[in-house]
Amino acid sequence: MTDTMIAPTEKNSLFMEQLDTLAGPLKGEKSPGWVARLREEGLTRFRKTGIPTVKDEEWKYTNLSALAGHRYTPAGKSALSPAQRKDVRARYCGEADVNIVFVNGTPDKELSNFGKPPTGVEIMTLSDALTNNAAAVQEIWAHYDPQKDSAFVALNKALTREGIYIHIKDKIIANQLVHILHVTQADGEQIATFPHAFIRLGKSSEASILETHVGLNDENIYLADPLTDVFLEENATLHYSKAQKESLRAYHVGTTRVWQKRDSTFNGFSLAAGASIARNNLDVVINGEGAAAFLNGLYSVYKDQHVDNHTSVDHRVPNATSNQLYKGVLNDAARAVFNGKIFVQPIAQQTNSYQLNKNLVLGKECQVDTKPQLEIFADDVKCTHGATIGQLNEDEIFYLQARGVPRKIAARLLTQGFVDDILNRLTRDSVREQAARMVAPSLEVLEG
Amino acid sequence: MRKEETKLLNEKTIEENVLTSRDYKYGFYTEIETDRIPKGLNEDTIRTISQKKNEPGWMLEWRLKAYRHWLTMKEPHWANFRYGPIDYQGVSYYSAPKKAGQGPKSIEEVDPELRKAFEKLGIPLGEQKRLTGVAVDAVFDSVSVGTTHQTELAKQGIIFCSMSEAIARHGDLVKKYMGSVVPYSDNFFAALNAAVFSDGSFCYIPKGVKCPLELSTYFRINAAESGQFERTLIVAEEGSCVSYLEGCTAPMRDENQLHAAVVELIALDNAQIKYSTVQNWYSGDKEGRGGIYNFVTKRGKCLGRRSKISWTQVEAGAAITWKYPSCILQGDDSVGEFYSVALTNHRMQADTGTKMIHIGKRTTSTIISKGISTDESNNNYRGLVKIMPSAERARNFSQCDSMLVGNKCSANTFPYIEVRNSTATLEHEASTSRINAEQVFYLKSRGLDMEAAISLIINGFCKEVFNELPMEFAVEAVRLLQMKLEGSVG
Repeated sequence: MTDTMIAPTEKNSLFMEQLDTLAGPLKGEKSPGWVARLREEGLTRFRKTGIPTVKDEEWKYTNLSALAGHRYTPAGKSALSPAQRKDVRARYCGEADVNIVFVNGTPDKELSNFGKPPTGVEIMTLSDALTNNAAAVQEIWAHYDPQKDSAFVALNKALTREGIYIHIKDKIIANQLVHILHVTQADGEQIATFPHAFIRLGKSSEASILETHVGLNDENIYLADPLTDVFLEENATLHYSKAQKESLRAYHVGTTRVWQKRDSTFNGFSLAAGASIARNNLDVVINGEGAAAFLNGLYSVYKDQHVDNHTSVDHRVPNATSNQLYKGVLNDAARAVFNGKIFVQPIAQQTNSYQLNKNLVLGKECQVDTKPQLEIFADDVKCTHGATIGQLNEDEIFYLQARGVPRKIAARLLTQGFVDDILNRLTRDSVREQAARMVAPSLEVLEG
Repeated sequence: MRKEETKLLNEKTIEENVLTSRDYKYGFYTEIETDRIPKGLNEDTIRTISQKKNEPGWMLEWRLKAYRHWLTMKEPHWANFRYGPIDYQGVSYYSAPKKAGQGPKSIEEVDPELRKAFEKLGIPLGEQKRLTGVAVDAVFDSVSVGTTHQTELAKQGIIFCSMSEAIARHGDLVKKYMGSVVPYSDNFFAALNAAVFSDGSFCYIPKGVKCPLELSTYFRINAAESGQFERTLIVAEEGSCVSYLEGCTAPMRDENQLHAAVVELIALDNAQIKYSTVQNWYSGDKEGRGGIYNFVTKRGKCLGRRSKISWTQVEAGAAITWKYPSCILQGDDSVGEFYSVALTNHRMQADTGTKMIHIGKRTTSTIISKGISTDESNNNYRGLVKIMPSAERARNFSQCDSMLVGNKCSANTFPYIEVRNSTATLEHEASTSRINAEQVFYLKSRGLDMEAAISLIINGFCKEVFNELPMEFAVEAVRLLQMKLEGSVG
């Protein structure tokens, strides 16, 4: 390893010292006793794990010493100027969508419009849900074994203050897009946010949810540690996209956990375009026969960005399928990490599981580390994985040049084609267009 | 129809799995007087081994340095398998047939008992009865008991002898290359080996010589409560070419015996080394009692430009196999290859694969790995492809396929791909599945019985790797696989 190993002591201890400050605003809040217990659980767990180092196999290729070296303050009030508000509304809030907007971790009533959700759809902020619907939240929140929580899941559990609770009732087909938007704009201070979203789809329901994380100023340094828990009841279908374009100096360590019951479909898409260091964990547990999971992802990074995608699909029952395709474009001196795990448990016969990771390396100093991993304990299965790392095809560039297309444009066109292959899998136009807009800056450098 | 067939296959596999598989045919033990040192490991043990072999001072120094380093190391446990603690003091580190005597000897002087033992293994040591076109170095427990064809090879300047002989006669060469690919500080088992290695084979192919014979070493563990720690070193000078084969067996015992070998290959400009292994150590019984712990460090260095190192392995034995034959592709345009078939049955555990470290420009590597797991075994592929910043336009292709037979086994793949140079092109693909029921049905409908059908399909599955083996070994490998699979599959 050429990477400098960080001693877990020094820089980590700076971060550990801050835990009390970050937990400060939580003191004196009027939440049920079980919430306090969960927070305590998370805190204990995080103190035990600390910020992971590259010695941890899960973090082998992502060094968090830069993240751990800052002093963060708890997220404060929304501080958007009227011009910024207008901008956010125009760029991100679709008129036809249900918008749930958080600014610096705090719900922004003015930009949001979820007061009157469509029939059969319940949407409330976490604080409201804890007052009005505590039992339902508790069921999801306390679902996973706390001893297995990763460091950042534990941290989120300990420090989350706001979030959203979305419940699509049985047999409801929600056509409107539900858009959870996290905007961070904090000049002069380094804030840390820990939003937690709970998404529950009832039996035979269907919904489209987009979770967006954006930073308005590329110079802002902040930490985002969001956690999204998705529960799909029998025969439910969720189209879930996560689009991330944080500030180029920010740190984003997000986790999405999906729990699938019988015949449910999780149609996931993940876009990573921003942040200095971005880590995205997507853990799917298939716990019902006939369920299907689609995990598509795109990362497009440039300058000295570092993007790390970890997916895990755990087939615990027979007759389920999962399909993953992650594509990445790297420019300048960007670095990408992909780790995909497929587990097939002994009883999960007749599992079909596919995984493919393709990297297009355009910059001279890029680095790619990929580790597709299969752990299979059942025999009647079909599982494949693949990974490629390569450049643009010279023959294709030549073909375009021979037809009068300048080299730079040819490269841009071919890269666009590589990207569109995955973007076109997004069926909702508004989501696809937004994703394309987010990727654009990292592709424009090709023409420069 | 097809559904029924699948069901039938399912039932049959489970049913047949319960049946005992055929006995391990090399499980016999040879009664022979041995010269062995007491169990235990300390600096005196190492001095005794060194003394017994009349080694020069520098060798002993190196051993002791390795031992002192080993004491500071911890036994690694990152591999994906379980085993009880190894008692390093409960092993005798030197055990040799008494009549083998000291130093080099002619093949005719080999103890008839020993010769009989090797004949039983299918390795005739007498020059008259030689295997056509193969020169053999036979290693029995801790020492080499004889090397065939030495004079014939010497005419071309090729040195092929036991490591002890090489240390005595070709000290300069050994000193220059030993530890240059696998230093004693490399890992826990390499350090242990460097401290206590008792013998092994040494080959040196001079400039421009194409070795006329296949060189081969046959490793046999015979004594109980001992381990085998051999070291093999192959040096191919500029423009030379050699093919080397290795085979191994051991008696059936309820105890676990440790085999911690080190193999180092060095290829200079335009040289080619092909290293093939058919590993058939005793793998333990159905309940997983006994068997060899095969913890081996094998590494080749393509030091010269346009050099090539090719590893081919058929891993069919040993209770635990833990090895990653690797290539350091240092010379520009050098080539590394790895072809592997790993078959596990009973409760065998295998964690094997390769490492390809690309350093030179335009270096290329190919990895083909086929894993077959049956019964309650666990088969892992773990590989690393690393492209260093200096490796302009490096190329790698990897393919690892696993086949599962029976529903109590497991197959895992852990490929690591690390790219530090953006001009590299890499492709990796892997698949895991069971035997295709339609293919079985097709063959059965043409009159083949279940066993023959499955054997044929598995043969086809491994074809790419078998094609890389020298002819005699390929035949042997096919037979070995058939024998192992017998009773394992329906």
